[in-house]
Amino acid sequence: MSSDVRTAIDAAAAGSPDTGHPARARRPVPGPVSEDSRLAVEIRGLVERGVMDEARERFGALVAAHQRRASRIAFQYLRDAAEADEAVQDAFVKVFEHITSYKEAWPFEVWFTRILINGCLDRRKARARRGRWFVPAEEAGPLDEMRASVGLANDANPESRLLARERRSRLAGAIDRLSGRQRTVFMLCHYGDRTPREVSAMTGLNESTVRVHLFRAARKLRGLLGGQ
Amino acid sequence: MALAHHLHDERLLDCYLAERGGEIVDPPLAEHLAECGACGTRYAELVHFMEDLREGAAAESDAVFTPDRLRAQQQKILRRIEHVGRSARVISFPAAPVRGGITSGTPRVATRWIAAAAAAGLFVGAAAGLFLDFTRGDRQVTQLASARTDGSAPRPTRLAGRTAPAPPSSEAADEAFLSDLETALDRPQTRELKPFDALTPHVGLITNTIR
Repeated sequence: MSSDVRTAIDAAAAGSPDTGHPARARRPVPGPVSEDSRLAVEIRGLVERGVMDEARERFGALVAAHQRRASRIAFQYLRDAAEADEAVQDAFVKVFEHITSYKEAWPFEVWFTRILINGCLDRRKARARRGRWFVPAEEAGPLDEMRASVGLANDANPESRLLARERRSRLAGAIDRLSGRQRTVFMLCHYGDRTPREVSAMTGLNESTVRVHLFRAARKLRGLLGGQ
Repeated sequence: MALAHHLHDERLLDCYLAERGGEIVDPPLAEHLAECGACGTRYAELVHFMEDLREGAAAESDAVFTPDRLRAQQQKILRRIEHVGRSARVISFPAAPVRGGITSGTPRVATRWIAAAAAAGLFVGAAAGLFLDFTRGDRQVTQLASARTDGSAPRPTRLAGRTAPAPPSSEAADEAFLSDLETALDRPQTRELKPFDALTPHVGLITNTIR
């Protein structure tokens, strides 16, 4: 499915909790240290000094700052609210467990997103494996779809809700038809609000390659969705 | 200088990404977009499509991940990291059995000896009781025979003497004791003992039965 993306991400995983290998593929993204990166460094210092309670307290702020965007990415990737919730939780827990290996040369967001995406890819892989061996249950997220419909169109009539639901279903289907790299790049860039340069740092792909994947993904989606 | 030919879709996407990221759009491209109606329309369509996708996805996610759910998620994460960095409590077990401690062989042997001793004691007790009754019975028969021979009235036996009514002073003392006992049993703090009391034969009851 998207093992190619996972490989690319792992190849660039400089000191990431998944591999623990030293930096080898990509250079860090230059630029001023962001607020969350500074906070991550502070938490790392607290953990190293053994001041765990304070570290946890500060980490709560870091979670609050990133969880919405992380949930959005995970949900779009997995199309299942419960699984996305777990993926986000796992990513944050993993970050805290390995905070001592965080290097400020990398923006925290890049580091965190890479961990999150790897977790989502693993879950998709596991889901595909399950799908080969078990009879698939009802489509993964009818309840989520319903919740989304209610949340999105509280005041809309049933027809509008039905159309919105159908449109989301078509979109999810179209995104699923993208290749692994195209999907990852599109998700991060478009749903995660990341620039191609940041996505390049997250995935280990060249910035120009990211742009190409993004362009192809957009073109394919427009073709599949008929320009909407 | 504005470009003479129409822009490729890839360049339009670059313009969109630059604009969205707050970067400066390449000046020749920006000029061309401003001047060329066809490219301007294509660009507007692309922007509309991309923004529609983005906003739709964001609204869908936000409808599922409500602020309450995000708060719950945050609490779960904080609960899960509570144990990170805390060393697990290890309960150490002795590597070798303690010398002089309880071993598997000792209690079994001791139990066997106790059981054997109890059985032997029971057997000896029963045999001794039978022997005593037998000899006493013989003595009573002899005494009765001799009394009949003497023509005198038979003397009360020890057994008869044992069942004879106690002197009145002793009976009053027993009654007082039982009364005290009943009073004590009626107290709230000793009510828990009543079931045990019900299982125990009362002295008065036994005495009345014998009478």
